[in-house]
Amino acid sequence: MSGEEEENAAELKIGDEFLKAKCLMNCEVSLILEHKYEQLQQTSDDPTNSVSQVFEKSLQYVKRFSRYKNPDAVRQVRDLLHQIVILTYIRILARYQLAEFELCVLGNLCPETVEEAIAMVPSIKTRGRAQDDEAIEKMLNDLSLIKKFE
Amino acid sequence: MFFHIVLERNMQLHPRYFGRNLRDNLVSKLMKDVEGTCSGRHGFVVAVTGIENIGKGLIRDGTGFVTFPVKYQCVVFRPFKGEILEAVVTMVNKMGFFAEAGPVQIFVSNHLIPDDMEFQSGDMPNYTTSDGSVKIQKDSEVRLKIIGTRVDATEI
Repeated sequence: MSGEEEENAAELKIGDEFLKAKCLMNCEVSLILEHKYEQLQQTSDDPTNSVSQVFEKSLQYVKRFSRYKNPDAVRQVRDLLHQIVILTYIRILARYQLAEFELCVLGNLCPETVEEAIAMVPSIKTRGRAQDDEAIEKMLNDLSLIKKFE
Repeated sequence: MFFHIVLERNMQLHPRYFGRNLRDNLVSKLMKDVEGTCSGRHGFVVAVTGIENIGKGLIRDGTGFVTFPVKYQCVVFRPFKGEILEAVVTMVNKMGFFAEAGPVQIFVSNHLIPDDMEFQSGDMPNYTTSDGSVKIQKDSEVRLKIIGTRVDATEI
């Protein structure tokens, strides 16, 4: 496949199709897949038979690695908190001119220091947007505010 | 990384499915055909989330089948070289360890495991640091960087 040889997420070389696509954080995928599973439970006697192994494994994975779990909360409250989380992410995206892919990796892995963040997403430093350490630190502080919704 | 993208597929439908439930039949056939599949370009299709558009059906010459071009939204999992993500260890041996991130299988060779970690065999084979502070064994959660991907006929 052409272009795959140059593929490198560290430099944000993930192909036009995925750069423009909507990236999903594990917590978002968790909501989508759980919702679908619930729908299947209503329409089928045995939902475990009607979902693929890919679906099961993905659901298990995003539940395990979702940063924003709140199992005791009522679904409506969870949705509202989720909306606030998403809006905060959108503001961060706009303010720091991150690509969606970069924001999602940061959101999934939650680095605590600037060094960690640069190690996880080297492209935030190199894509020529004059991201100095101070700006990156500010961005991480903004991201960590979202942890309050855990 | 998970993405929400729009894909297109030509669905062939036998006339027995025509009628009132044509659209529903088309959509369930789509889900059965596509969910759980994997391609090198888009990764794994985890779930179809919606139908964007169903085009006009074209009757195939010689058979009664009709082909419908269907545009649908779906969640895909597509790992990228250079991406950092979290995974769960599934098996450990002296060559390295296997881990899973969602539907994707990952192998980490012992050459790429930090030098200060040694392989320990036994009931629960693991890699441990000399001071015992970090241990990688079955069901451990690890964070790793993907250095290469390979696509088999049905998996990555």
